[in-house]
Amino acid sequence: MAKEALARERLFALRETIARMEGRPLSPLDDAGTPLAPGGQEEAAGTRPPERLPLGVPLVDEALSGGLPAAGMAEIRTAELRDAGASTGLALSLCAFLARQAEGTGADPAFLFIGERKVALEAGEPFAPGLADHGLGLRRLFHAAPRRLEEALWLAEAALSSRAFRAVVLEIAGNPRRFGLGESRRLSLRARHAGSLLLLLRQGGGEEAGSTLFRLEASPSRSGHYRLPDGRMLGGTIGAPGFAVRVEKASHPALSSLPQAIAFEWIAHERLFALPDASLPPVRNPAGPAHPGARLPAPADRPDRAQALGAVLAFSRAS
Amino acid sequence: MRLMALDRKALEAGLKPGQGLAEARAMCLGLDAVPADPQADRQFLAALADWCSRYTPLVARDGMDGLFLDITGCSHLFGGEEGLIADALSRLSAMGLEVEGAIADTPGLAWAVARFTPAAAPQARIVPTGERAERLAPLPVQALRLDPLVVEGLTKAGLRLAGDLLALPRAPLARRFGPMPLLRLDQATGREDEPISPRLPVAGLSCERRLAEPVTREEDILFLAGELARGLLPMLEQRGLGGRLFELSLFRVDGAVFHVHAGSSRPLRDARRIEALFAGRFAALQEDLDAGYGFETARLSVSHAEPLESRQMDLGRPAETADSLADFIDQASARFGPDCLKMPVLLESHLPERASALVPAREGLAAEAGPPASASPFRPVRPIRLFRYPEPVEAVAEVPDGPPVQFRWRRAVHRVVKAEGPERIGAEWWIDGEEAPTRDYYRIEDEDGRRYWLYRQGLYDREPAQPRWFMHGLFA
Repeated sequence: MAKEALARERLFALRETIARMEGRPLSPLDDAGTPLAPGGQEEAAGTRPPERLPLGVPLVDEALSGGLPAAGMAEIRTAELRDAGASTGLALSLCAFLARQAEGTGADPAFLFIGERKVALEAGEPFAPGLADHGLGLRRLFHAAPRRLEEALWLAEAALSSRAFRAVVLEIAGNPRRFGLGESRRLSLRARHAGSLLLLLRQGGGEEAGSTLFRLEASPSRSGHYRLPDGRMLGGTIGAPGFAVRVEKASHPALSSLPQAIAFEWIAHERLFALPDASLPPVRNPAGPAHPGARLPAPADRPDRAQALGAVLAFSRAS
Repeated sequence: MRLMALDRKALEAGLKPGQGLAEARAMCLGLDAVPADPQADRQFLAALADWCSRYTPLVARDGMDGLFLDITGCSHLFGGEEGLIADALSRLSAMGLEVEGAIADTPGLAWAVARFTPAAAPQARIVPTGERAERLAPLPVQALRLDPLVVEGLTKAGLRLAGDLLALPRAPLARRFGPMPLLRLDQATGREDEPISPRLPVAGLSCERRLAEPVTREEDILFLAGELARGLLPMLEQRGLGGRLFELSLFRVDGAVFHVHAGSSRPLRDARRIEALFAGRFAALQEDLDAGYGFETARLSVSHAEPLESRQMDLGRPAETADSLADFIDQASARFGPDCLKMPVLLESHLPERASALVPAREGLAAEAGPPASASPFRPVRPIRLFRYPEPVEAVAEVPDGPPVQFRWRRAVHRVVKAEGPERIGAEWWIDGEEAPTRDYYRIEDEDGRRYWLYRQGLYDREPAQPRWFMHGLFA
């Protein structure tokens, strides 16, 4: 009996050490029946668990043990590079969400997007009008496209240490060898000390050990319908951007690697997350079709269009 | 092949510039000839001009083989005019150059004395204000920087020395030989003003330090930069200015001069921050800045300054973020160049690729006060990622001018589940010309839920070219 208690105590001590190193609160699931006293040595600067911002989607908040951490490093990855739209959308939504949280406090949060050139070639560059549509203010948004990964890491670290940014998005392609556990740990500590969020956006990469608070796999998700002002859904339209997110790593061990993905939406003009609403069936356009009247069905095999006859004269130029 | 320039030994051997190389080889057996490289000569002269900026900031080039230094108000720093010219000539000859120099009130006279007075005592190199005409008189007319044809005419008329011209009545001289001889005479004697054009703009403020012992270590140079910045502060404060662009000139013992520029995103009047700017620059320069045997002189100049508004400190809220953001921008720009950090801005164009631009963060921050270009409120949503070059896709549409049912992009087939559109965007004919095709944009969702922005370029029947499909962006 005494031996067992001793072993349990050692196990508990080890868990506590690991939890402190990872900067997360001790999970109540760690030990059966023992309520864990918060505080203690964890109160030391930098090791205190970061506060969480609930995203407003219960499932996701639960998986992230309370929501989005206010400081630290988090990873969002996609398995394939062509899903970059979903992961970029999620990361930028989180930035816009943070910006909305800061409203009214007098702070004017700035954001930095460090993009990799390879991803820009494969999946396009961030597009300012689209970012504005997505709910991000362009006035405090910075973009960097460094040539090499080392430069990107330097920029991310310098940006975090300057404490000028509320969140830094660092985009990398795949699992580069030069971004390993050491670099990840370094950036994570830097982010935690600076009190800002570092979102690591791994486009087209596999799971990799890292010093992140959580890791989400983002994949595209079928969108709902456009919401009409009276709350009904307009059929045949593409609704709010949605993501399917699978939690691969979380501070809550039991919630890590949940098999199923959670799909949720980003309502850009209100800047909040919501679960897709499929309660009401979509309606036809209440205003009626744009061109009322009997419409002929599209012929299945209609003749080819008339070919241009003879030489085309440049009338427009001649006149 | 002709001889361009000769050294003293060759001149003693009787060779002349302009002589054929074969003839010169025949006259002088051991002739060592190297091809002329005017470009390298020019660079060398520019480097020398840089080096001469230790005496005065106003250094102008004179042809291919001379420099004008405007030393007004500088000579007392070097122990008077004698001290300055002795110092300059001895240092330059220590570098292995054969140099002649003279100090006079006018560039013309200094040019004439330097080139046509045989090397003599240091006093002979300096022309006192009262003796301009006397010193000019014994020199040949070539010393007046005249066209060779004019010189020939003057010589034929028996006017060999500048003094002969000085004695003649002016009107007949001008009638016979044109205005140049008189102009040059007046310029040499100071009756006519002759400005020199300095190579580099003069910095408004600068601070310099000469070291007894050359420094090589980066920390020492940085410390020196900080000290120099501290020396600049009272001057900046007095004028109510802050520096935006700084130049640190480092003079190496062997005569090479390095200029390191560092810019800041807002006017600076803080030695620590200026030092930090240069720390960033040095980190980026590492290999390019070769300290060699060390730097003996350093000068910090403010190339561009702007009024610095004094700000009242806010007791309630620390104004930290604005400063820290500017600091970060400076730090990053010093290391990777001003283009490394950018800010997206909206532009007034309806064509997607022209609707936004990335401007360097420094300018973006400065332009913050201006009214933001607002996007049109009534337009369909735009993608968050846009391809710089739209990628061609093979699309199959149900009806020719409708949305695609499926398309092949990068060798993968995507089935379209939902489509919104078309949004017709016409070309900007005032830029692209009237022939540019119209585009029909569709927002498309495939069966996995990926959302794309596709467009068909060209209209069926109405535009001559066969329409093609392109992928232009990704939605969230």
